[in-house]
Amino acid sequence: MSSAIQVRELKKSYGSHMVLKGLDFQIEKGEIFALLGVNGAGKTTALECIEGLRKYDSGVVTVNGKMGIQLQLSSLPAHIRPMEAIRLFAKWNHVKSDYAMLDAFGIKEIEKKRYIQLSTGQKRRLHLALALISNPDVIFLDEPTAGLDVEGRLSLHEQIRKLKSHGKTIVLASHDMAEVETLCDRIAILNNGTIVFCGTALELTDTVGRKYFIHVKTQQGDRVFETDHIEDTLISLLGELKQKKIHVLDMKVDRGTLEQHFIEMARREAE
Amino acid sequence: MNGFLYGVALQWKLDIRSKSLLVTCYIVPLIFFLLVGGIFTSVMPEMKSTLIQSMIVMIVSMGALIGVPPSLVETYRSDVKKVYQANGVPLYLGLITMFFSAFVHLMISCVIILLLAPILFEATLPVQLPFLFLALAIYIMVSLSIGSVLGLLVKNQAKLTMIAQLVFLPSIMLSGIMFPIDLLPNFLKNVGRMFPASWGYRLMLDHGFCFENLWYLIFVFCVAVTVCGILLKKQR
Repeated sequence: MSSAIQVRELKKSYGSHMVLKGLDFQIEKGEIFALLGVNGAGKTTALECIEGLRKYDSGVVTVNGKMGIQLQLSSLPAHIRPMEAIRLFAKWNHVKSDYAMLDAFGIKEIEKKRYIQLSTGQKRRLHLALALISNPDVIFLDEPTAGLDVEGRLSLHEQIRKLKSHGKTIVLASHDMAEVETLCDRIAILNNGTIVFCGTALELTDTVGRKYFIHVKTQQGDRVFETDHIEDTLISLLGELKQKKIHVLDMKVDRGTLEQHFIEMARREAE
Repeated sequence: MNGFLYGVALQWKLDIRSKSLLVTCYIVPLIFFLLVGGIFTSVMPEMKSTLIQSMIVMIVSMGALIGVPPSLVETYRSDVKKVYQANGVPLYLGLITMFFSAFVHLMISCVIILLLAPILFEATLPVQLPFLFLALAIYIMVSLSIGSVLGLLVKNQAKLTMIAQLVFLPSIMLSGIMFPIDLLPNFLKNVGRMFPASWGYRLMLDHGFCFENLWYLIFVFCVAVTVCGILLKKQR
């Protein structure tokens, strides 16, 4: 398998603040690669340097193939209609609109609306369709599911998997652990301008554990339980609550934030 | 070329939909024309001979200096610019399409004045109509080029509104379109000559189309286009 992207010693500063301190990684063709990091870790800067949208101070970036880019903060003229944007970008890229792809993204349903009238999810779908219009080999998605509801997320995940099945290389920036774990072949974690982890989701779990957070709301108040073994903890927790005749008002399980994982990673390293 | 033409046509449609350019290119100037035309021609009947040229200078200055720059800021100081870049659309597209679209809107607005002024206020039609249109086209291009510099240079809308007014108001007040320039003191007369409005006005008057009135407009246009090129390059 040959590489789609090669990044060597990539450095970028804003004034005296060094945002990227020499990134090194390689992304293989046909791979879904996630760049994870907390807000301000440098994910968007790294992506924009690779995409050629931002100048960098030093290093070498090689992208093999045509790029399709969905930006984190995207916007279009307020009164443009989705199909007008698609036609404009298709004409500039000398390609014909792929109506099957547009149908899959539900662009037809929103074609009469103006950009300003679209919901966050509809805007995301439109920008993803625009990124794919030139049939790119390498697709960059910067926090593609941010602001989407559950249905929107699932639909987008399905589209991303479909793209992979067509041999596309996908680079995804996110701060959602669960999302990248279900979608990505490999993960790089960016913290403070350096890559602190690069490997598969399984390797990451081996490093930081498979931490879950159980949020329980009762009449006595809210409590959060941390565990590496969700099934056993849930069974024993529910049993205990039933035994004590505590009425559960609400219960939620999540994988925690990246910040929590970093804290855990640091704690384990210290131990 | 196909993409470029589509971009121009699309911008024309967007301008009509957004209504901001409609307000500055049609509604406000035409209301101003109706008010000022009525007042001026009754107070100073001699203004009937230059009313069309005066109102044209006013409309073009308002549309180009107040209407166009905010649209440019919306594109070049927002994520729209990045989306264009990311999707292979050249950065100059926004500027050029807005320029062409505004040119056509301003031309239409001026034709409306040309048709209405003789009927409503007994204004005198210019004798050399082809030269008037040529001068008008030149003046629109020069004004739009200055508006483009403002739109690319100023980073936020609040500052832009202030700076655009600083260019627009002296253009109107000191160019001779509201009252004869000879009534002004020498200092203000010289200040007025720095703004293209006074040159455009003289160029549009009957027998005014000559190099003496043209050279400064060409000079300003060349400088403005160069500055726009530099500012667009900086946007990368």
